[in-house]
Amino acid sequence: MNAPPSLWHNQAILIETEIVLQGRLGELPVLVAGVAGFCRQHSLPDDVEFDLNLVLEELFTNSIGHGGCAGMEDAVHVRLRLLDTAVAVEYADRGLPFSPLTAPVPNLEASLDERALGGLGVHLIRKIMRDIEYCRDGDWNRTTMRRSL
Amino acid sequence: MIEVTQETKSDWCVVAISGRADAEAADQLESSLRAAIDTHAKVAANLADVDYISSAGLRAIIQAARAAQAKHATFVVCSLTPSVKKVFDMSGMHHIMRIQGGLPC
Repeated sequence: MNAPPSLWHNQAILIETEIVLQGRLGELPVLVAGVAGFCRQHSLPDDVEFDLNLVLEELFTNSIGHGGCAGMEDAVHVRLRLLDTAVAVEYADRGLPFSPLTAPVPNLEASLDERALGGLGVHLIRKIMRDIEYCRDGDWNRTTMRRSL
Repeated sequence: MIEVTQETKSDWCVVAISGRADAEAADQLESSLRAAIDTHAKVAANLADVDYISSAGLRAIIQAARAAQAKHATFVVCSLTPSVKKVFDMSGMHHIMRIQGGLPC
C-alpha cells in the first residue's frame, strides 16, 4: 500500500489544535492564545472566538476552583477541530468527577439578594454549546461539545 | 487583564473599565467598583471598552451591585458592547441591576 499523499496528512494536522494547560489560573493567557491561533488559522468570526474563550474559561476555572486541579501539572487538555458547520471542542481534565450536564444552575429570576453566585458558568456553557456529552474516562473528565458556525 | 480609571461627572462617579473581564481580572474589577461605591452615592460602571466577560467578571459586578444596595447607593452598568451584552442577557443580569445604553451623566 502506498502512503497517503502528504497533502492530506498536512490538512489533517491543520484542522485540529491541542492546548495543554497546567493547573493554575495564570495559564488562562495560554488558553486565549491557543483559541486565537485556531480561529485565525481558520478565519473564524469574532463571536465564535468569544464563545470558545468563554466556554473554555468556565470549564478551566471550574477545574481549578472546584475540581482539584489547582497545582496539578498537565491538568487540562483542550482539542479544537473544525467541522463543516461547527467547531468540535473536547475539554479533558484530571480533576474530580464533574459533569457540566448535571451541575446545578442558578435561578436567573431570583432577586439580587437571592441570586446564587455559583453555576453561572455551567449555565453559559449549556446556552452556547450544543451536543454536549460527558464521560469519566479513567482519571479524566472528558466533555465534548460543538459550537455551531 | 483590565485597566480601570475613575472620574467624577456632575454627581456621578464613573468607573471606566477596559480589557478582558475574566477570572484573572475579577478581583481587581470587584475591588475597583467597591472602592467607588464606598465613597460615592451614585456610581456608573462604563463597560464600553470591555471586549470580553466571563461569569467571574459577572460575579464581580453582582457583588458590587450588592454592596451598592446595602448602602443605598445608586449603581448602573453602561455602554455594553454587543458581545458583552449577549453574556449579560444570557445571564439575566437585567433582572438584578440597572443596565443602560449610555452614561447617565
